[in-house]
Amino acid sequence: MGKLYKEHTALLKHREWRGFKDTMYDYYRWLVTWKDMIVMVLKAPVSTVKGLWKYRWMASYLTTPSFIDRHTMGLRGAHLRIVHLHFNMIVKHATGLINTSFKADEKINPNNKLSKKIVLTDEIIPNEVFSGFPNLKVIPLQTLPIFLSSMVDQQITPPYLEVTESFGVPADVCPLPSAEAGVAIEDDYPQMGCCMIATNMPCDGSIMNSTFLDRRLNLPVHCFNVPLRYNGEDVQEYAVDEIKELIKFVEEQTGEKFDWDVFFGALRNTNKQLEYEIEKWDINKTPYPQMTGAAFWLYRIYYFNLSGGVDERFLKVDKKVNKLMLKAYEKKAPVSKEMRHRAVVWSCPANYYTSFANWLENCWGMNVVMDMETMISYLKFNTEDKEQALADLAKTYQRSIMRKHTKGGYKNVVDELWRIVEEYNADTVIMYDQISCKGMDGLAGIFDDQARERNVNFIWVKQDLMDPRTISRRDMREQVNKYMQTVLQEEPLDPSLVDFEDDLAW
Amino acid sequence: MRDLKHLYEFENLLQDANNELVRKAKADGGIALGYTCYHIPEVLLNCGNCFSVRLRAPRTGSMDIATYYMSNFLCGYSKAILERAIEGGYNFLNALLASETCSEMNRAAEHFELLDLVPNDKFFLTFLDAPFKIENHTVKHYVKQTRLKILDMLTNVYGVDTSDAALLKAVEEHNEVCRLMTEIGNYRKEDNPRITGYEYHILNLVTYCCPKALILPALRETAEELKTREPDEKKKYRAKIVVVGSEMDDPDFTSLIEDSGALVVADRFCFGALPGRQEIVINPDEDVLTQICLHYLKTSQCPRFMSHAKVQERRDYVKQLVDEYHADGVMYEQLKFCEYWGYERALASYVMSTDYGVPTAAVDRQYTASASGQLRTRVQAFVESLEIKKIQKERQAKENG
Repeated sequence: MGKLYKEHTALLKHREWRGFKDTMYDYYRWLVTWKDMIVMVLKAPVSTVKGLWKYRWMASYLTTPSFIDRHTMGLRGAHLRIVHLHFNMIVKHATGLINTSFKADEKINPNNKLSKKIVLTDEIIPNEVFSGFPNLKVIPLQTLPIFLSSMVDQQITPPYLEVTESFGVPADVCPLPSAEAGVAIEDDYPQMGCCMIATNMPCDGSIMNSTFLDRRLNLPVHCFNVPLRYNGEDVQEYAVDEIKELIKFVEEQTGEKFDWDVFFGALRNTNKQLEYEIEKWDINKTPYPQMTGAAFWLYRIYYFNLSGGVDERFLKVDKKVNKLMLKAYEKKAPVSKEMRHRAVVWSCPANYYTSFANWLENCWGMNVVMDMETMISYLKFNTEDKEQALADLAKTYQRSIMRKHTKGGYKNVVDELWRIVEEYNADTVIMYDQISCKGMDGLAGIFDDQARERNVNFIWVKQDLMDPRTISRRDMREQVNKYMQTVLQEEPLDPSLVDFEDDLAW
Repeated sequence: MRDLKHLYEFENLLQDANNELVRKAKADGGIALGYTCYHIPEVLLNCGNCFSVRLRAPRTGSMDIATYYMSNFLCGYSKAILERAIEGGYNFLNALLASETCSEMNRAAEHFELLDLVPNDKFFLTFLDAPFKIENHTVKHYVKQTRLKILDMLTNVYGVDTSDAALLKAVEEHNEVCRLMTEIGNYRKEDNPRITGYEYHILNLVTYCCPKALILPALRETAEELKTREPDEKKKYRAKIVVVGSEMDDPDFTSLIEDSGALVVADRFCFGALPGRQEIVINPDEDVLTQICLHYLKTSQCPRFMSHAKVQERRDYVKQLVDEYHADGVMYEQLKFCEYWGYERALASYVMSTDYGVPTAAVDRQYTASASGQLRTRVQAFVESLEIKKIQKERQAKENG
């Protein structure tokens, strides 16, 4: 497979041959991606073109088909279809977000009415609570300019990081909030909205970059806080109060009234999605997993945060995927060419190398059956009682992305890892050492100690979340290569993938 | 200036967390309660026969073991605390009251449990969930947390009296320390202060690290001594500065600044007196614990408070200190790898100079800074720039008549 890559950029010389049927399906899906992107442009051609010229990050989205290709390499049959369906839903939703953002951007369309109907939120706040305001549009501020674009294109983050560092913020802080602050310093956020919801999630860095965003946006800002010591019942009253205050703030700022019926409807959708999700997990616990790799967590965090039960298209995709998955499982279809190891991926994955799990699978036969990001909240919502629904929502928010495991005590991340390893019958842990994550760095020795006691293959992979200059994709692969060759003394499944250069890739 | 009578004794008390006064208090049946954060209301740890010890790790050397457990990327303070704990330096503690206010200290504290560091069957560790803004429901939450995680635990484990009467008694003692420190601190507003920043830093640290009752006699005497102390006629400094920033319990840092030509007139850093040594005013008609909690929330200047009002208040407060203490500039310091102050230092130093017109310098430092030549150069350069600004200002004033 490595022979398909061009030197330096790892762009494909030609598409992968997967047999007639799968190649045609893959090509068809490639065309669908382009179709969705073109439709987005056609919906608002002037605004989109202006946005493309105005914002550095927008050009990154032109590489979306290549991003999807990186995640489908080597896939066949049901697995290929499942991954494509998930990515396509992400593309459909993201193009909608871009479309709304540019239409509402006052830098592009001054004094437009749509802008006043928009509530900006910190991207880490899941969408459920805003479903109660069906007449408003909610835009997660940082998602398009930096979070999503950094996954699509590894080259987009460094310029923003440099801006922040030039401003005086140290280079050792987590690069995600740092890059978000950089976008603010550069004035590269679309200008829109009637108010902003900031949050203390997920971590210390995000708390602090809110001061940079606040200074740039100059909008009424509400700080929505979620308790940290979330395992105790003693924090739940405060957590619910915070949600009520948030609703009150939005009502005051927009004049809209919270619609409980619509809210309950969204929660019902989320419950249904959760059922499908848990079926995926259950199948992955068996010897015949049907969905491994990065699409698992990418799709999970995307719908968890950005749909929040509001967009029913996600539910349709889940239904379709569920059908495909069960059928393949009944046939005991192998998820990949050869599954030598069942791996759990722990800690925050690198945004600049989301397809790392795909490489693990193709190069070393290491299938990622579960990961930390996927294992965010799986609590069901009460959909009839208002107080109970808010209490459930509060608990869900306490267990959201990058939050559930890194806060509230070491047990949430250390003990939880060993529980997952056991449940998923994993023999290997890919432990991301996100070098700037203080919450995870602070437990490095404990992880090592306990891994030794359990005798699992514990592979540390250093990475810098958003900054490929510190530790490149190639450096990440090399750490696994060394472990596989020296400790486990294994031969690669595909030797052409062991070492290749992709520093100049998107 | 004549040396302060108790200065040497105070300096010695800061050489060890388990210092002479701590040992004496323990021998008298006192309960030693460690803490590391302003979000743990200090006064609550001085109820009944308890006494608070704000943890430091003086004379820190190698941090190899702590680095194994917490990597290279965590702040020196959290690692030094862990290293010292592993060495047995905190074996005297009866409890550690922690709060998940920053990830790094939180992880350091968790290792007390993970590695079972304090050999005492009754030793306990609690984590408080502190709010990020001040509103009615967040105050209520904070009060509930302090009741559950601090007072109830002390009563249940050690039978400590945490009644309102006991709290009021602790407040009274705390307030006396604050009155004395404020009285002493006010001398720093003088044109030619009769106390140096280093001396004040030592006095202030002693009040955090020693049992209050045992330190008060020497503190009273020092306050009395200062009433008649004459400063040197010739000023030894070239500029007055306010130091603002993250955790700092190293008087050598202040000494380094003062050896480089500046005088530290206000200490707006974590472990400083601003805030930390303000009296707690109790209204007899209101709930005592709520008022104590509110005092700490309102006075806290931690960058963790993220509401717009609190952010603005932090900047206004620094400007107020500059004016009150007649400072020429502000030095923002950040303990390396401190996530909160990494951001705050950058933005606040920019805002202070552009929006408030106050000259600023921003430095990062290691937990122990005494040997840093680099830092000395930065301070010297800042002092020179302040001098140039002063000269330019005077020249401009002359030109304008």
